[in-house]
Amino acid sequence: MTFQALQNLSAPLSGLDRDALRARIDHISRHAHADDPPGPAVQPTGFADFDALLPGGGWPLGAITELMPEAQGIGELSLLLPALAKLSRAGRYLMWIAPPCLPYPPALVRHGLVLDRLLLVQAQDARAALWAAEQALRCPAIGAVLAWPAALDDRRVRRLQLAAETGGSCGLLYRPPLAALQPSPAALRLRLKALGPGLQVEIQKARGGRAHALVVHPAAAVRA
Amino acid sequence: MLWLCIQLPRFALEASAGDACALVPTHRLPDAAPAALKTLALWAMQWSDQVSSQLTADGDAALWLEIGASRRLLGEHAQLRACVAEALTPLGYTHRLGIAPTVQGAALLARAGLTASAVTRAQLLQLLAPLPLALLALPDEQLIALRGTGLRLIGELLALPIASIARRFGPDAALYLQRLRGALPEPLRFVQTPPRFESRCEFADAISETTTLLFPLQRLLAGLQGYLRARDRAVQRYELCLEHHRGALTRLVIGLARPGRDAAQLLALARERLAATVLAAPVHGLRVAADELLQPVLLQNDLFSRAAQHSEQFQQVLDRLAARLGAGAVQALGHTAEHRPERAWHMSAAQLSAPPAAGPEHAALELPRRPCWLLPQPRPIDKPQQLLAGPERIESGWWDGADVARDYYLAREADGAQLWVYQDLRAGGWHVHGIWA
Repeated sequence: MTFQALQNLSAPLSGLDRDALRARIDHISRHAHADDPPGPAVQPTGFADFDALLPGGGWPLGAITELMPEAQGIGELSLLLPALAKLSRAGRYLMWIAPPCLPYPPALVRHGLVLDRLLLVQAQDARAALWAAEQALRCPAIGAVLAWPAALDDRRVRRLQLAAETGGSCGLLYRPPLAALQPSPAALRLRLKALGPGLQVEIQKARGGRAHALVVHPAAAVRA
Repeated sequence: MLWLCIQLPRFALEASAGDACALVPTHRLPDAAPAALKTLALWAMQWSDQVSSQLTADGDAALWLEIGASRRLLGEHAQLRACVAEALTPLGYTHRLGIAPTVQGAALLARAGLTASAVTRAQLLQLLAPLPLALLALPDEQLIALRGTGLRLIGELLALPIASIARRFGPDAALYLQRLRGALPEPLRFVQTPPRFESRCEFADAISETTTLLFPLQRLLAGLQGYLRARDRAVQRYELCLEHHRGALTRLVIGLARPGRDAAQLLALARERLAATVLAAPVHGLRVAADELLQPVLLQNDLFSRAAQHSEQFQQVLDRLAARLGAGAVQALGHTAEHRPERAWHMSAAQLSAPPAAGPEHAALELPRRPCWLLPQPRPIDKPQQLLAGPERIESGWWDGADVARDYYLAREADGAQLWVYQDLRAGGWHVHGIWA
């Protein structure tokens, strides 16, 4: 049927025929996918070897990812930039809730981010920041929400996880390295360490995937 | 003409109630009911541009909406009736509805609690016939006189010749019955939409919790929504005024990023704002005012594309964030072509932007390598142990007095952190300016 539809496409069509045809193609393609098991929605990280280790092959959408870097300045933000750049180019907004420093526009533009889509939210305190993160996560127009919560309990992460499920966006939480000792309902938990010139990413937990996998990124690729 | 009558039998009492739970306030306020009825009449104007209201000395109230003209637009009257009842319930007013081709007929059907509607006069007479005379809106002495004649039902009374009714029960009773059945027109005064919206309410018991203000505020905003729909306008901001003792006021301006008129949305923004507000004193009254009326941008009816819907939802998030965190809390970043790193960026208030144009990607690569984080102020440090790259000399700004002469390097710390550092070429000191996160 698809073949027939394609053949028809080559003939000149009136607007009405074209609409009918499009509806039929939609129907066929929907039908074709209906039998496939629904995989988790993801946003590829932009690092092929890293994607290969993640369930679905990327940052999970509609879920919370926790990043636990051992120190600031080891490439913990650069790891996100290819995915954030893609999302912003697709017109999705990126909400940065109370970041610890100024996200530096010349670097972001160099990495391909569309600055129009990046918004900074300033919050008076940790509570307001969490509230803002939850609001942002619920909104489907927002592709990714980044937050740097100082302290966070299970219940809070679960709330954020639910909010992300509602909005379908990618919730990215930077947490202190000690947070790795507590369990968390986040879908993906990563420990980040500087390793030589690169960044070592340890998958501590991946919902629907393997834990304790290890991947090393050369600095040149990550921080170029 | 077709009338929808909304009977509000406990109106004066319910209008003075500050919150939904305390439906019986400690005392009634003389001014509460007229102000509340004015607001409710504006609320009703979303369905009809001919709305009339009445408040009796006993404290019950009624609204009449002419729905003959709008009936076709809004669907059948049964649907409209359900719609009005549904919108009325959260406002906390006890109500009964009636639909009939005459004003008095609609009121009588509402009082009788009939769910059936009369669309024609014949249907009205049929519905009225088996009802007791006590439902007629006549003074008590006339009702007693009627009962004395042995009549019991409205149908029996209406069967009598009108001249004999006038002779036996007086001209007023005859006039009322003629209007009830539609033989004579009903003189009504209609509510006018004022050029600006202002609505207020007062509380019998002062309120000291902001959450308690939401219930009365909801009533005022329902009025604002009705007013805006009636005029096909929207607002981008409205003023919420909390009235304290002795004329003291707390003024809050609630802003929307895009013109809107949905009461639920307006209330949600006020809720966030009130949650972040500490009451200086108990609140005795509330006032909502809107001056600037704008063209509505997106109506709820145009079931717009997903993109537009997304941008609408995004807008609402921006509004909520601004309401709770302050107007300047959400900001956008910009890139400035400037050599001095601290001046190569700017910040502005966030607003909705058009979908990004797919710019040439290679343009970005022509930019120099820069760290993702910039420190708000360069921080002095000792000379770094390990320099991985550099120097990149930046000398600029001699023309505006903020000139710099620096050599920038990529430095590596013991814990693996990479920093963007510079040596000041004049003073010789070292500083961290950014973090290669």
